[in-house]
Amino acid sequence: QGGQFQQYGGGAPVDQMSNQFNQMNMAGGAGGYTGGAPGAGGFEQKQLHAINTINLIGMQPDVRGLEAPPPPYLIPQSASVTQSPYNQPDPSYQRCTLTTMPATQSLLNKSKLPLALVMAPYRSVREADGDMPVPVVEDNVIARCRRCRAYINPFVTFIEGGNRWKCCLCGLSNEVPQLFDWDQAEGKPADRWARKELNHSVVEFIAPTEYMVRPPQPPVYAFVIDVSQAAVQSGMVATAAQTILENLGNLPNADNRTKVAFIGVSTSLHFFSLPPGATEASMLVVSDLTDVFLPKPVDLLVNLTESRTAIESFLARLPEMFSDSFTVGNALGSALQAAHQLIGKIGGKIIALTASLPTLGEGALKARDDPKLLGTSKESSLLTSASSFYKSFAIECSKAQVAVDMFLFSATYTDVASLSCLPRYTAGQTYLYPGFNASRPEDAIKFGTEFGKVLSQPLGLEAVIRVRASRGIRMSAFHGNFFIRSTDLLALPVVPLDQSYVIELQLEDDLKGPVVVLQTAILHTTCYGERRIRVITQAMPVTDTVGELYGSADQVAIATYLANKAVEKSMNGSLDDARNVVTNALSSMLSVYKNQVTSSAGASAQLAIPDNLKLLPLLACGLVKHVGLREGASIPPDLRSYAQCLLTTLPSQSLISYIHPRFYSLHNMPPDAGTIGEHGVILPPTLNLTSERLERHGLFLIEDSQNIFLWVGHEAVPRLVQDVFDLPSYADLVGGKFTLPVLDNPFNQRVNAIVAKTRELRRGVYRPHLYVVKSDAEPALRSWALSLLIEDRMDGMGSYAQYLTTVKGKVNG
Amino acid sequence: MASNGNFEDVEDRDGVRFSWNAWPSSRIEATRTVVPISALYTPLKEREDLPPVLYEPVTCKGTCKAILNPYCQIDVRGKMWICPFCLQRNPFPPHYKDISANNLPPELLPKYTTIEYTLSRPAQIPPIFLFVVDTCVDEDELKALRETLVVSLSHLPPNALVGLITFGTMAMVHDLSSADFPKSYVFRGSKDYQSKQIADMLGLNPASSSRPMQPMRPGQPMPAPAASRFLLPVQACEFQLTNILEGLQRDPWPVEQDKRPLRCTGVALGVATAILESAFPNTGARIMLFAGGPATEGPGMVVSPELREPIRSHHDIDRDSVKHFKKATRHYEALSKRASANGHAIDIYAGCLDQVGLLEMKSLTNATNGFMIISDSFITAIFKQSFLRTLVKDDQGYLKMGFNGTFEVLTTKELKISGVIGHVISANKKSPSVGETEIGIGQTSAWKICSLTPKTSLAVYFEVVTPAGQPMGQNQSGLIQFVTHYQHSSGQYRLRVTTIARTFQEGGHPSIAQSFDQEAAAVLMARIAVFKAEIDDSPDVLRWLDRMLIRLCQKFAEYRKEDPTSFQLGPNFSIYPQFMFHLRRSQFLQVFNNSPDETAFYRHILNDADVNNSLIMIQPTLESYGFDSDPHPVLLDSVSIRPDVILLLDTFFHILIFHGETIAQWRKANYQEQEGYENFKELLERPIEAAQELLEDRNPIPRYVVTDQGGSQARFLLSKLNPSTTHMSGSNYGGGGQQGQAIFTDDVSLQVFMEHLKRLAVGASTS
Ligand SMILES: [Zn+2]
Ligand SMILES: [Zn+2]
Repeated sequence: QGGQFQQYGGGAPVDQMSNQFNQMNMAGGAGGYTGGAPGAGGFEQKQLHAINTINLIGMQPDVRGLEAPPPPYLIPQSASVTQSPYNQPDPSYQRCTLTTMPATQSLLNKSKLPLALVMAPYRSVREADGDMPVPVVEDNVIARCRRCRAYINPFVTFIEGGNRWKCCLCGLSNEVPQLFDWDQAEGKPADRWARKELNHSVVEFIAPTEYMVRPPQPPVYAFVIDVSQAAVQSGMVATAAQTILENLGNLPNADNRTKVAFIGVSTSLHFFSLPPGATEASMLVVSDLTDVFLPKPVDLLVNLTESRTAIESFLARLPEMFSDSFTVGNALGSALQAAHQLIGKIGGKIIALTASLPTLGEGALKARDDPKLLGTSKESSLLTSASSFYKSFAIECSKAQVAVDMFLFSATYTDVASLSCLPRYTAGQTYLYPGFNASRPEDAIKFGTEFGKVLSQPLGLEAVIRVRASRGIRMSAFHGNFFIRSTDLLALPVVPLDQSYVIELQLEDDLKGPVVVLQTAILHTTCYGERRIRVITQAMPVTDTVGELYGSADQVAIATYLANKAVEKSMNGSLDDARNVVTNALSSMLSVYKNQVTSSAGASAQLAIPDNLKLLPLLACGLVKHVGLREGASIPPDLRSYAQCLLTTLPSQSLISYIHPRFYSLHNMPPDAGTIGEHGVILPPTLNLTSERLERHGLFLIEDSQNIFLWVGHEAVPRLVQDVFDLPSYADLVGGKFTLPVLDNPFNQRVNAIVAKTRELRRGVYRPHLYVVKSDAEPALRSWALSLLIEDRMDGMGSYAQYLTTVKGKVNG
Repeated sequence: MASNGNFEDVEDRDGVRFSWNAWPSSRIEATRTVVPISALYTPLKEREDLPPVLYEPVTCKGTCKAILNPYCQIDVRGKMWICPFCLQRNPFPPHYKDISANNLPPELLPKYTTIEYTLSRPAQIPPIFLFVVDTCVDEDELKALRETLVVSLSHLPPNALVGLITFGTMAMVHDLSSADFPKSYVFRGSKDYQSKQIADMLGLNPASSSRPMQPMRPGQPMPAPAASRFLLPVQACEFQLTNILEGLQRDPWPVEQDKRPLRCTGVALGVATAILESAFPNTGARIMLFAGGPATEGPGMVVSPELREPIRSHHDIDRDSVKHFKKATRHYEALSKRASANGHAIDIYAGCLDQVGLLEMKSLTNATNGFMIISDSFITAIFKQSFLRTLVKDDQGYLKMGFNGTFEVLTTKELKISGVIGHVISANKKSPSVGETEIGIGQTSAWKICSLTPKTSLAVYFEVVTPAGQPMGQNQSGLIQFVTHYQHSSGQYRLRVTTIARTFQEGGHPSIAQSFDQEAAAVLMARIAVFKAEIDDSPDVLRWLDRMLIRLCQKFAEYRKEDPTSFQLGPNFSIYPQFMFHLRRSQFLQVFNNSPDETAFYRHILNDADVNNSLIMIQPTLESYGFDSDPHPVLLDSVSIRPDVILLLDTFFHILIFHGETIAQWRKANYQEQEGYENFKELLERPIEAAQELLEDRNPIPRYVVTDQGGSQARFLLSKLNPSTTHMSGSNYGGGGQQGQAIFTDDVSLQVFMEHLKRLAVGASTS
C-alpha cells in the first residue's frame, strides 16, 4: 500500500510520504474498505493534531522540512464511504491553508490564520515520478445533488438501502442513478463500491451532451510572431519557426482536427494563406492597423493535417522571409485582434511571441520605465497595465474561449506589466526571455525547450472552474490567471498544465457538522474532443479551538497564499505595503499563537511557533526579499512584473523553491550524490541559504526553479575546474550562461546528473538557465546569485535573524 | 479647292481637317458663318513618309516659344528668322550657319508643315502598365481573363514596368519582387483610404517608419526603391507575374443568394492611383481596369450588393433617384483629377452582360484618354482582340501609344482659342492665344493628354477677334501651330509640330462657302452637341443643333424668301443637314434606348475618333449586295430593305449582315450547298468578306451580327434607318412602289425633317 501511495504522490521523498501514510492509516484504523456504509451511530475518537511549539530565535532553520507534507486531514473514518487510500487529494492538486476548518468566522478572525484553497487542478501527470493518471468514469453515469449540484464522492452516505444518497455538502437526499450499479461494458451488475468516484478524490467524468453548448471544439493555435528587425536579429523568429516546425507532430492532434494560423507582425500584419494540399504559403500584408480585418475568409486558419505541406514549407521559409527587414515598430495589439478574429468563432490559444515593445496600432505602449520611479512609492504604477486595451481585449478573448500566451524577448523594456494582463485574464501564461539572443545556444535551447513543451502539452479547452463547499462556506476571493465570469465561476478558455490558483474562503454561517467537504469541478473539453468534468473533493474536520487550527496549518499553502496577497497589494498599493502584508500576517499569527495557544503573556525573548509552521518565517523572509517584492531601486520593472507572474501562477512545489532556493555544496558532496539511486539521481543535502556555507575553494549550486547558479570559489583547484568545466584553471573560466561539457570523469558526470535532475525536478515547462558565477568576478552576476542566499543580509535588507527580530518586535509590540 | 479630296489630302499630310478652310476676316463675319472655325486634329497621325527627325527643334526666343516652321520669314544672310506668332526676330542657332535658299533644314520646307522631333533628353522611366483585375467573376471568365493578360505581357516592351492589383471584397497589391512565395498587400474594400495612407501602408513614402532607421553600413547594398516591389520591368518579373496570374483565384468571400459579390473597384483604383502618384509622378503610365461587374462596396460603389436593387437607368438618373450616383461619380472624378495631373492614363475594360458603372467612372477615361471597351464577357473576341489591339506595335516594334502628352496651340493675333473637346484636361496655360469665348475645355492654350494613339483626334475651336472694318491685307493668312509633346514608347520624348496657314477673306466672299468641309463640320458640331449633352441631357441640345442648322442654311443656301421650293444647298453643304438629322437620332443624343454605361461608352469613343470614323458613328454606312449589281452604298433608309438583297450595315459599333426575306429563305433551304447555286454561295460570302475588312483595323472591335429580315436582331438595322416608310406614313419615298419595309416608329423621317428645315430657313410658316 505504501507503494501505491507513492505512485499517487508527487515527488516528495519516500520516507516522509510513508510517514504521512502510516499516520493516516492509524487514524483510519484497520477497517479497510470492505464496502457498505459505516454504521450511522458508530462513535469514533476525535483525532487532534499534536502541537509542538518550536522556538525560532537562535535556531538555524531546518530547510529540509520544506519538503514535508501538510498536516493530515483528521476526519473520522465514518466520514468516507469506502475508506479508499485515495479519498483525499494529493496536495499537488489541492491543499488548504488549514487542514482543519474553524467552526465560525469569528474563530477564524481571532486566529489570524488565512483560510484559502491552493489548487493546481489541471496538474500534469509525470509517469516518471510515479504519478497515477486521473481515474476516468467512462459510463456517462454522473450522480449529482439536485440542490447544490455537487458530484457524488467518497464522502456521501447511502441511505434507504442504498437506493438514495445523502449529499455531504447540503444534506439533500438524492436518488441513486439507475445505471449506477450496472457495468455497461460487460452488461451485468457491477460493484458499486468499486466505482471510481466513490474511491478517488480526484476523478474525471466524461460528460454527456447536456454539458455542451456546442460540439467539442478542436485545439486551435494562432501564432502571432513579431517579425520586426529586433525580432529577426535576435534570432527569435528563426528559433520560433524551427521549434514550431519540430513540434508540428507533437501538437495535440489525435483526431486530425487541430487548426493553426500564423500572423507575422511588425508595422504591418502579415497573414499566411496555407490552403490544404498547397506546397507553399502566400503572404498577405495588411497595414491598416486602425481597423483590423482579415484579408481572406479561408485558408488563414487551417487544418494542421490537411495543410501540413504548406505549413512546413512556410515555417522553413519564415526566417528568411523577413531576413532583410528594416522594420522598426510593432503593432502587436492589432495583430492580436486579427488573431482573435481568426479563431474567435471557435476559441483556442493565441501564442504571441514578441521581441519589441508594441508601439503601433491598438494597445500601443511607451517605454515608461523611468529609473527615477524605482524604489519610490510610484514604482507600483509600473507593475500595473499602462493601457486598458490589454484587460478589455483579454475579457473579449475570454468570452470567445480564447487564451493568450505571451513569449517576451525584448532586449530592452517590454512592459511585461501591461502585456501579462492578457495571459492573466485568459488563463494563459507569460514567459520572459530577457536579452534573448539565439546565437547563444543556451538561449536558443531554453526557449526552444520551453516553447516546445507548451506546444506539445495537452490542453483543457473552454473550461470553467467552480468550487462548491458544505453549507456555511463561501468563496470570497480568487487569485490566478482566469476571468471571474459570475460570482464564483472561473472562466479558463484554455487550462494550461500545472498552473496554480488560490481561492480564499469565508464562513458565512457557523459550521454545525464535524466534517465539511470542499469540491472543485473543472468542466472542460479535452484536446481529443471529449467534454469532461474533473472533480476534486476533500473533506476536513471542523474545530472550535484556535490551537487545533494552528496545529493543522499548512506552511506551504500559507506561503503560497501570502505570495498572491502580496502581489495583489503591490498593484493596489505599494511594494512597501506588499511586504508589510507578509510580515504583518506572520507577526499577527505568531502573536495569536503566543498569547492564545502557548498562553505566555507579556514580552518574550523567544518567538514561539508550532512545529508545522516553523519554516513559515523563513518563507516570509524569502518572499519580502524576492525580486518580485524586494526593496530597492535597481530591479528593472519587467523583471519584477515577470517575477510577480510566477509568484501568482507557479504551483506550490515550484513556488517554494522560487521563494526559497535550493543550495548544495558539490565539491564535497556525499559519495552517492549525483549517482543514480533507487528513486533516480540522488541530490546532495540542501544547505541553509547563507554565504557562510560558501568556501573559497568550493563548487556550489543554487537553484530557484528558474535559474541554476554554479558558484565557483576563486581558490578552486585546477583539477576541479578541469574536471567540471574542461578548462585548465579558474582564471580561464568566464562567468555567465553556460553549457556544462560532458566529460569522461565521475565528478563531471555527477555534477551533470545533479544539474539535469534539478532541471527536471518540477512540474512545468521551465528549463532553468545554468550560470557559472565566479566568486570574485562579474559583480552583477555575483550579487544576483548572492541575493538568493536569503538568510544573509543584503543591500540594506536584514538577515533572516534580523527579520525574526523585527517580527518578534511586532509580536511583543 | 472645295472638294473633299482636297480636305483628305490635307488630313493625310497634317492630320487636320477644318470646318472652314478660308476664314472670315472679322469677328462679326465669323459669327455669321455659324459653324465656328475649328479643326479636328490627329496629333500622332501615322506619317510613314516622314519619319521623325533626330534633332531638337528651333524655338522662338520670345515668350511664345513657337517652333520654326515653313511659314516663317527667314533672312538667310542675316541668319535670322522672324516668329510669325510674336514677330520676334530670332537668330538661327550656330549649327544652322550654312543654310541658304537652296539648303534649308527640313522644318523650313513646305512639305514639313508637320514634323516630329526626337528630343535628346530621354525619359527616365519606361512606360508603366498597372493591371487592376476584378476577381469577382465566374471561373471561366477569370480563366479567359487570366489567359489574355498573360498573352498581353508578351506585347509589352520588355523594359516596361508592370504591376498587378486584384480586387473583389478587398484590393490586393501583388509584390512582384517576392520570387520565393506569393506576397500581396491587402486593403479593405469598404474604406476610403487617403493617398498618403496607401503609400505609407505600402512603404512607398521615404519618411515612413518602415524605412531603415539606422545609417547604411558600408558594403551593404542600398535597399531598392520601395515601389520596385510592385512595378518591375516585364523582362524581370514575367515569370513571377505569369505564375501569379495563372494562380489567380476567384474572390474567396462568400456571396449570399440574394446579393451581388462585394466588389471594391473604387478602392482598387484608389490604390492604383496612389501607387503611381507617389512613386512615378508625371511620367507615362496606364492603369488598366478589368471590371467584371459594378462596384458594390466602399467608395465608388455604384449599386448596393442587394440584388433586389437594380442598377440605375437613364430614367432613374433623370429622376435624380439614384442613391450612389453622385457620390460614386465624385469619387472617380477625384481619382481622375489626380491621375491626369500626373500624366497617368486609366483604361476600363468591362466584361459583363450588365453595366459596370461606366457612367460613374467615365471621368477616369475621359480625363486621361484611357481606353474604354465594353464587352459582354472576358471570353468574347470583342474583349480579347480590342484589348490586344491597344497594344499593337509599329514597324520598329514600338507600341503605337504615346504617353504623358501635352498639347499646345499657338495662333497669330487675329485668331484666339476657344477650347478643345476631347479626352484632355486643361494645363492652365494663359497665353495671348487664349480667347474669351469658351467651347469645350477653354481658358488655356495647353492641355494634358495622358495617352495618345495614332487615331486620337482632338477638336479645337477658334474665334476671330479682328473687329469688323479693320483693314486686313489681301490674302492675309492666319497661322495655327499645334505642338504635341509626348513620351514615345521607345523611351524618347518626342515633339510633333503641325503649322497651318489659311487665308482670311472678306465676309460673304464665295471662297468661304467653298472652303466648307461639311464632314469635318458635322463631326466638330457633333462634339459640341455631345459636350453640351454631357453637362445636361435635355432637349435644349437638340434645339440648339436645329437652330444652328437653320442659321447655317439661312446663310449659305440659295432660296427665295418664304418659298421653301426654291431652297437649294451647294454641293459642299448638301449632305450636312442629313448628318444633323442622323446625329439628332443617334445614340449620342437619344440616350433612353441605351443603358447609361452604353451612352458613356459611345460618347467616349466619339470624342477620340477622326472625321471618317465619327461620320460612320453619326450616319452609319449601308451597302447592298444583290445578284443584279456590284455591291454599292445605298440610302440609310427603310427603302433599301429588299427581299432579294443582303445589306451590310456599319455603325462603327456594330457590323450587321442583314439577309432579305428571299435570301434568308434560300439560305435556310441550303441552296448555297447545291450545285448550280455557286453564285448564291458567293453572294452570301461577299458581305462577310467585306465585314472582315471593316473589322481589320478597328478598335474597339465592333459587335458582329448576322440576321435575317424579320429576325430578332434586325432591330439593330431598323433603328438606324431613316423611317421613310413608317406605319404612320401613307406614301412611299424613293420611288419603286411597294419596296422597303415599314418601321414602327414615331420619329420623323428625313423627308419631313427636310421639309421643316426648308420652311424655317426661308422664313415660311411651318405648318
Ligand atoms: Zn447537495
Ligand atoms: Zn515667337
